[in-house]
Amino acid sequence: MSLILIRQKARKLHAMTRRQRLGSLTAPVVLAFFYVFSIKQFPHLREMLHALFAFALAWSIAGLYFLNRRAWSGEMPADAGFSTGLEFCRREIERLLDHFRRVLLWSFAPLLLAIVTLVMALAIAAGSGLFPKAIPFMTLAVVWLAAYLCIRARQQRELQRELDELRETESDNGR
Amino acid sequence: MGGVEAISTAHPSQGDFYEDAVEKYGSSLERLASAYEADPEKRRDLSQEIHFQLWRSFERYDRRCSLRTWTYRVAHHVAASYVMRQRRIFSTLVSLEELETLPDKDEGELAAARRINLGRLSTLIRRLKPLDRQVIISWLEGMDAASIGEITGLSPPNVAVRVNRIKNILTRRFNRGGAYAE
Repeated sequence: MSLILIRQKARKLHAMTRRQRLGSLTAPVVLAFFYVFSIKQFPHLREMLHALFAFALAWSIAGLYFLNRRAWSGEMPADAGFSTGLEFCRREIERLLDHFRRVLLWSFAPLLLAIVTLVMALAIAAGSGLFPKAIPFMTLAVVWLAAYLCIRARQQRELQRELDELRETESDNGR
Repeated sequence: MGGVEAISTAHPSQGDFYEDAVEKYGSSLERLASAYEADPEKRRDLSQEIHFQLWRSFERYDRRCSLRTWTYRVAHHVAASYVMRQRRIFSTLVSLEELETLPDKDEGELAAARRINLGRLSTLIRRLKPLDRQVIISWLEGMDAASIGEITGLSPPNVAVRVNRIKNILTRRFNRGGAYAE
């Protein structure tokens, strides 16, 4: 592999990391959209909405820091050759599990709070005629939330099982 | 990532180590990439990634282990990381026990169409978890239990047990598949 190709690969990896960072902006952007939409549609609930959405937005913005601070980018440390396959796989799975947990806490949870707030506002303002129109959105939101949680839970279980196996192998090795 | 910066401040022997490794193990690295990725385009990407990370890693190489061990460790790490990244929602890797009892998806028409035995073996290997894959790929490269142990971190007896189990399972499944193909 020539130096030119190596430079190209480095640029590609840089771009990939940038894209991942940009991707983490999705939750705050969606949240801000819900915020503006709710304030416009339900001015009489302004106070409650301000408090809940501001909290969710602050939570998700703080999440940007925590998510990007130890992002699971799949990028390998230069000294990886010092670790054996067993150590490396265990650490990677631990990092991946930790990443999933942080995504749930810092990205998914604030979004969930925003959706619940929006649905609550729609339910309170049921008389305004917006509620029946919002039923498809609410159904979609509930299906999405349930599917996301199921898939994540399944991935978490699988990774945890793999991690337990690797730890067991490590302790077998030590005997 | 310090990849680009590292090029200008690289240790003088970084390139030499890399060239040496590619000269000695270049073809093994290609085989290793194909044991992790079936799609030719993605395999090319994986192979480039392996070379890039290998080149990067030699900045820290201090001969504490042999060039071969280092090269294979880094290559397997990159590939294992790639498998974890690429892991799709419904695609799961299987343990040895599961592989043994799993119904063969290649049975029937697909198996009949698949005439290249090496391809079938690679398909089975690609379903293994990274550590088992590392063991069997290294064994197929002709390494002994001690060398495989150095790369994977498993003790030599543990390596021997795993190699035997994987070999037996693959042989049984391979023969079963062969009967369909005939």
